[in-house]
Amino acid sequence: MIRPVYKQETEMARKALQAALKAGASQARISLNIGVQNSFSVLENRLDRLQMANDRSLYIQLFVNGRYGAYSTNRLEETELEKFIRNAVSAVKWLSPDSCRTLPPSELYFKGPGKDLGQFDPYILEMDPAKKKELAFAAFEEIAGKDNRIISVDSEYGDTLEYQYMIDSQGFEGDSLQSGFTLSVECSVKGKGDARPEGWWYESSLTYADFHPAGCGRTALERALAKLDPVKIASGKYNAIVENTCSSRLFAPIITALNGANIQQQNSFLAGTLGKKVFPEKLTVTDTPHVYGMAGSRYFDGEGIATRPMNIIEQGTINTYFLPTYYANKMETAPTVEGPSVPRITAGSPDGSSAGLTLEQMIGQMNDGILITGFNGGNCNGTTGDFSYGIEGFRIENGEIRFPVKEMNITGNIVSLWNNLSLAGNDPRKCSRWQIPSLAFGEVDFSGL
Amino acid sequence: MTDYRSYLNFFGVTPDDLKKLIRTALGQGGDYADLFFEYTLANEISLRDGQVNAAGTHIDYGVGIRVVCQERTGYAYAETTAMPEMEKAARTAAQIAVAGQGRAIVPAKDLLLEKKNYYPIREDWDSFSLDRKIPFLTQLDTLIFEKDPRVIKVLGRIADSDTKILFYNSLGETFTDERPMISVIASCVMREGSRTESAASSRSFRMGFEMLDESLIREIADEAVKRTSFLFDAVQPKGGQMPVVMSAGGSGILLHEAVGHAFEADFNRKNISIFSDKMGMQVCDPSINIVDDGTLPGNRGALNIDDEGVPGQKTYLVKNGILNSYMHDRISARHYNTAPTGNGRRESFRFMPIPRMRATYMENGTAKESDLIASVKKGIYVDTFSNGQVQIGAGDFTFFVKSGYLIENGHLTRPIKDINIIGNGPQALKDILAVADNNKIENSTWTCGKEQYCPVSCGMPSVLVKSLTVGGSN
Repeated sequence: MIRPVYKQETEMARKALQAALKAGASQARISLNIGVQNSFSVLENRLDRLQMANDRSLYIQLFVNGRYGAYSTNRLEETELEKFIRNAVSAVKWLSPDSCRTLPPSELYFKGPGKDLGQFDPYILEMDPAKKKELAFAAFEEIAGKDNRIISVDSEYGDTLEYQYMIDSQGFEGDSLQSGFTLSVECSVKGKGDARPEGWWYESSLTYADFHPAGCGRTALERALAKLDPVKIASGKYNAIVENTCSSRLFAPIITALNGANIQQQNSFLAGTLGKKVFPEKLTVTDTPHVYGMAGSRYFDGEGIATRPMNIIEQGTINTYFLPTYYANKMETAPTVEGPSVPRITAGSPDGSSAGLTLEQMIGQMNDGILITGFNGGNCNGTTGDFSYGIEGFRIENGEIRFPVKEMNITGNIVSLWNNLSLAGNDPRKCSRWQIPSLAFGEVDFSGL
Repeated sequence: MTDYRSYLNFFGVTPDDLKKLIRTALGQGGDYADLFFEYTLANEISLRDGQVNAAGTHIDYGVGIRVVCQERTGYAYAETTAMPEMEKAARTAAQIAVAGQGRAIVPAKDLLLEKKNYYPIREDWDSFSLDRKIPFLTQLDTLIFEKDPRVIKVLGRIADSDTKILFYNSLGETFTDERPMISVIASCVMREGSRTESAASSRSFRMGFEMLDESLIREIADEAVKRTSFLFDAVQPKGGQMPVVMSAGGSGILLHEAVGHAFEADFNRKNISIFSDKMGMQVCDPSINIVDDGTLPGNRGALNIDDEGVPGQKTYLVKNGILNSYMHDRISARHYNTAPTGNGRRESFRFMPIPRMRATYMENGTAKESDLIASVKKGIYVDTFSNGQVQIGAGDFTFFVKSGYLIENGHLTRPIKDINIIGNGPQALKDILAVADNNKIENSTWTCGKEQYCPVSCGMPSVLVKSLTVGGSN
């Protein structure tokens, strides 16, 4: 396989490590980040924007006898860089020593080699810009003139190439290379009065073979038209289905609450819950970091610690926190990976006999409630788990979608919400790093009229 | 570094280089091109568990090159100011032009644009070493712990940055600008019995080191403790539609989300904003004036000159209740055949400028806040906020309320917290029934995330909104 080679840049990272140690750092970690991005945007059948980006920078973490600093620069000329590092080491010496600031135990490092994780497609190096433009125009043309209520169509093709290389003073060395192809479409249609509801859709993949952008425009238009003439309905407790496009919004507060920084600061609604059953027995969350071709698959985290398949939540019980070395040292325990790679949700019996449902089956089973297809603002208090989010979606009656709803909030507590989890779908989007399917919850507080 | 020539030296370019790059950028045609050179030096130190034990410095350097052909944009950047790399970026941006469409001619004589200085720096951050900042964080920690025995954790952070900009365009216009920014942030965690609560306070200004003093630290410490303490008595209220009194200051988030984004001209140029057909029409009570202002001295949203060479200015978006102006960059101004309003902003040289807000606020009315509260039989009073969002086309906006009170029979009663409020922008504007005389600019670390991040601020006198949908239990 053809891979881009960044010999000069990785050599620069090695030199930066040596410069840090020479300047007085007792330990150091250097991360090299290289990115290339291209995008072509089409608005109303004209190329509206063309953008190209090339980035390369160094992130430098210094441990100077218990004192810690994190530095970054994109000025990579050798003399400039050496001066920057010398100044950084010198500045760190003003800080309070903190013995918890160390690199991880080296036995936790990924030692490699690992099988290819299918993260890079060399086609990205040779793809003709004309083809990229063509894809953006094709998405526009899918729906141009198809409905006289269309006000505006904005389509964009974009691709990215990202390379990360990391080296530290304990001997860790690793790199990763990832490509990405994305097509997105936004469509506005004429609604009642002055309203111009929007619909969007995107398709994204790591490899061109997995990239299936056809239909993006049509889906965006369908989603916009479905929002016409929304109705504000009465406040009350309703069953809710949260579509796979946005269900991660309700999962994210759990991951944030398991984060070591929040746990150590006692600023998490899951502090003190390790090994305890917090969520319903039907809920298991698994991290699957080594799946071929999945966005997010990786062999090591940002500290070089090896990833491994594991249960984050097992039948409702909290199985792990995410403790980077600093917070683990503070808590006098062993570090873990800094966060999930490719988390997946299952909600059913552990033997898999209760397989997930399609969204349509979930709507049919729920019979009555509200389908949430997007969030509009809102937040979750990470200390208490109390949340309140604006939503958009549809009223479900008699197992069918009836009409769009507008100007409604859902409010409650994340732990209580997840304890009312009734169904999980079989439909996580492959293009998402977090494999969160459509989810159904009972008795959710909606506020409207 | 104050003069044009020193900036040229700093970025290692000559006037001839600038002209050459513009000519390359316009090599395929195009009506306009500009170069945006930037050097940003950002520093931060943070306190955790009683120790100032982490620091950082971040350097970002490069040049963004834009070519405009009618309303189309080509954009590329280089992270070096070596001519071959910059010329490569210029050639990439040039590809937006369609052969034969437009060919701007660079004038022989350049014009150094005049600008006012809305952020004079008395003590620059370059000369202010790390050891001089540390005592302020230590003091912040001590003050917060002293104020309440329930405090169990404190986080503190001081972040400062200095951005140097050199700009040149195909009109021969050039300017330099130095933009400071300083932010101080504190959060605390308190425990009472089995309950834990946390809240934060912050201040941010375009100023030099002179703004960092004991009174500012005391103000932030006091606010962080009060906000956290408040939460122990607060509940999520019963939800539904009700009147909302928005307190002075941070309630400016209502303007930012409900109407501000919808007044940004790029959305209107594309005809996707709910206000696209409303220019010159009455959109709210004639007593209401809404402003977007880049001229507030030292304000987080202040701009001497915007990121495409238009002087900082104050723009009346709504005047006497009539939609008076959108916020324009050069492209939208040309579309509407009007002058740009100084709202062409970008996160950094990596991004093309687009219409963005600066400091958005409502001018004073004549009512008293106490009268607004007294007029409400059953509703809520909202005081502090964390974030908001808007759907431009539908007009539905939201903002998240961290704290407030129930209003019952004209009085503030039970404290409330953590609720989302949702409304429709044009309707909410029409539903502003009264505006108080207590306008206040909010100086927290507000950042707007429209495609790219930009520092902004907002302000508001207290207002009474007839009806919004409040999140809560049933």
